[in-house]
Amino acid sequence: MKKITIFLLATVVTFISCSDDDNGQDIVPIQSKNISNLAAPQTGGQGEPVGGPFTKFDFATGMVTTSETDWDIAFRGTTIAVNGGAITGTTDEPIRNGDSGASIQTGTFASVVSADGLTYAQDADGSFAIPTGSDNGWYNYNPQVNVITAIPGKVLVFRTRDNRYAKVEILSYYKDAPEEPDGFVHESRFYTFNYVYNPNLGETTLE
Amino acid sequence: MNLNRLFFTVCVGYATTTIFGQSIPFQTDSIPMLDLEEVVVTATRSNRQLSSLPLPMTLVSAEKIRESGTVRLNEILNEQTGITTVVDESGFEGLQIQGIASDYILILIDGVPLVGRSAGNFDLSRLTVGNIEQVEVVKGPSSSLYGSEALGGVVNIITKKPTAEKFTGNASYRYGSNTQQDLNLQFQQRIDRLRYVFFANRFSSGGYDLDSDTEGLTVNPFSNYTFNNRIYYDLNKHVSLFSSLRFYSQEQDAGGIVNDKSYVGDSKEQEWNAHLRLDQHWNEKLSVQYELYFTDYNARELVSDPVDNEVLNDSEYDQVLLRPEIRGAYDFDDNGKITAGVGYQLDQLDRTFFDGQVAFNSQYFYAQYDFDPIRKLNTIVGVRFDIHSEYASQFSPKLAARYKLNEAFNLKGSVGYGFKAPDFRQLYFDFTNSTVGYTVFGYNVAGQKLQDLEAQGQISSIVVSSSDMETPLEAESSIGYNLGIGYKKGLWGAELNLFRNDFKNLIDTRIIARKTNGQNVFSYVNFEEILTTGGELNASYKLNESIHLSAGYQLLYTQDKTQWQQVKAGGIFARDPATNQTVAITRSDYFGLVNRSRHHANFKVFYDIPAIGANANFRLMYRSKYALYDTNGNGLIDPYDSSYVNGFLMANLSATKTFFKDFDLQIGANNLFDHTDPNIPTQPGRQLYLTLNYKF
Repeated sequence: MKKITIFLLATVVTFISCSDDDNGQDIVPIQSKNISNLAAPQTGGQGEPVGGPFTKFDFATGMVTTSETDWDIAFRGTTIAVNGGAITGTTDEPIRNGDSGASIQTGTFASVVSADGLTYAQDADGSFAIPTGSDNGWYNYNPQVNVITAIPGKVLVFRTRDNRYAKVEILSYYKDAPEEPDGFVHESRFYTFNYVYNPNLGETTLE
Repeated sequence: MNLNRLFFTVCVGYATTTIFGQSIPFQTDSIPMLDLEEVVVTATRSNRQLSSLPLPMTLVSAEKIRESGTVRLNEILNEQTGITTVVDESGFEGLQIQGIASDYILILIDGVPLVGRSAGNFDLSRLTVGNIEQVEVVKGPSSSLYGSEALGGVVNIITKKPTAEKFTGNASYRYGSNTQQDLNLQFQQRIDRLRYVFFANRFSSGGYDLDSDTEGLTVNPFSNYTFNNRIYYDLNKHVSLFSSLRFYSQEQDAGGIVNDKSYVGDSKEQEWNAHLRLDQHWNEKLSVQYELYFTDYNARELVSDPVDNEVLNDSEYDQVLLRPEIRGAYDFDDNGKITAGVGYQLDQLDRTFFDGQVAFNSQYFYAQYDFDPIRKLNTIVGVRFDIHSEYASQFSPKLAARYKLNEAFNLKGSVGYGFKAPDFRQLYFDFTNSTVGYTVFGYNVAGQKLQDLEAQGQISSIVVSSSDMETPLEAESSIGYNLGIGYKKGLWGAELNLFRNDFKNLIDTRIIARKTNGQNVFSYVNFEEILTTGGELNASYKLNESIHLSAGYQLLYTQDKTQWQQVKAGGIFARDPATNQTVAITRSDYFGLVNRSRHHANFKVFYDIPAIGANANFRLMYRSKYALYDTNGNGLIDPYDSSYVNGFLMANLSATKTFFKDFDLQIGANNLFDHTDPNIPTQPGRQLYLTLNYKF
């Protein structure tokens, strides 16, 4: 099974949030986690029609889910869907019933500190919020060595289905995140990523 | 290969020129002897002392080639400071000068160009050194004399004109590791007004394997033949005729195992060069040369399964170049010389992945003024104008000057323009990868081809507007600057040269459309600007009459200017493999362009003992690490990339002893430390060899 590790709990944020609370509502601490080996299988590819169910992920629980409604983003092969907008037309895709959106930012993971003021794209007929294809969205495909690499400096900022915000940095597309993936040896379609999730409704802070 | 037919053809060529020559009267040799000073022709298209030139040049003499025991041109050039051979991502080897790739270096033989490149690389191992008098390398842009391709420099292979009336020649045989065999036969003679040279070479290797993990050999067995015959005929005191016919043919095993299936086949290369020139000395001051040159380079590969006849690869490449040129030189009494030329060039290519044969034609003229405006200052001003059928006309100026400070020191400086015409592939390619499914179109055919694909329903979206492809592709160009200081006194000699080459309009691929299969359609576009800069230092010292030491060093910095700006702005990132997290690339992280080493160094000792007819030498070459390609997807080379080829040291040595006056026995070792790297497929491990040469 997928191993989910909590690699850092941003305890600092807990203290900050106590200091200056205007409406007295309890602020939930920001969550910073690492997900390893999220399996995102697909059928077809290499010129054949692509299919198979997406692996859905819920930021609120920090886990993979099979729920048709309580998911924010979903993975199949190199394709990432969001639970917002409309179906794209690919086979076996989940129905969109939330308000998720995605914005691709450039910088180190730490340098993206806020989700405020960004433009969030949603899935639509014929296109994904995170564009597919090498160098269009989050990854680069090097045909010489047959390796998919997450483009460094690409931080995916998501609005969740219920208007919370998260940032994601994909680290690896290969099982157990090898230092130097070999496209002919290592098993692909296993996502490893870091994310920071602000569980407070409408709050855009991501640090 | 049919050897008999080949000999026959060569001999027919020989006979024709002879007959033509006989109808015309006599002359004497008009080229003045310039004592022991090294004389070169490439820099100015006339004889000049190497030491008096205002341009950075490297000269390799036949003697050095012979003593070093090299058999192919790439080996000896690789030992020169600032010149290196590189295997790029295409897997082919080419030259690099001042950090400039093989695509931008013109290769000449007796002043006329050689064609036939693989992914831009000119394979210098195609050329035997057996019939070479000297190799001249001009560094920096030389388009003012030579036109397209002469951005990084010009390599000119000079053959020798026979002088002795006696029938002389030599025959040699060499056997080395990897069953390498090199066989040479050359004879020449001067009979009254006629001189001839006949040269034949056979070179073969059993191939070798650098990576036992992968199927098959790194280099498959091959054998090749080179024939060259040249006729020189003095029609009278003022007019002489030169003709050269060269033929090269190689066959290499190309079979192998792909996906557990065994294939057989071979790849063949054939090249013809026919060069005819009439030299006319009107008077003491004016001389004119009429030149006609034709070359045809053909490469063909056919690999198939012998059982079910499934064809793995069937490709052909056939390039023809025809070039008549007239040039003249006028010597002024007091000071100065004007050289000018006019020519026409037809360049034609027929190859797999082209719709049909394509042809370019161009007309050009050039002029050069070589004079001393004041005492001790030599200046060369040159311009060339090229009118081309496929791209905008090119105006290529050059200015060079040398100032003699005193008996020991001199200063040199030059600035020049160089260009390279878009090649056939960049304009006419029509290629779809059968396994992955992407497509590459040449610029000139992309619009129409894209419409065809769209009509077939293969295009999901077009990324560039059609107006983006209306203006013709521009020639790639560069401006090169060289500034040097030379020192020569007593037993010491030293030269320092600083260089900088600014390239613009470099042609690269870009995505023009997306296909319904998820793959891209690529075409070519002018966009890149790059810079190569650095310095070269050469020093030599004569320890005594017998021992000659030399050392050389090149420091090289290269950059893609757009990438450099992005790095400066903090917009480039990499993934640290240890944590997989993104880090920003800093200026000091930026490693420059692929295949460029920051440091090159060499050290050589030549030891000559004339008393016993022996000589020996030891040559050490170092190259620091370089990167092959970006591995972490940020488009540039940084410390986190994993395609670095480690720096390495190459040691070669050889020793020759003369026996019974006419026999030379040579023993040698190349790559003494047995350094190999699967990333350098053209570099075999340690090679030992033994050569016997008989002079007659």
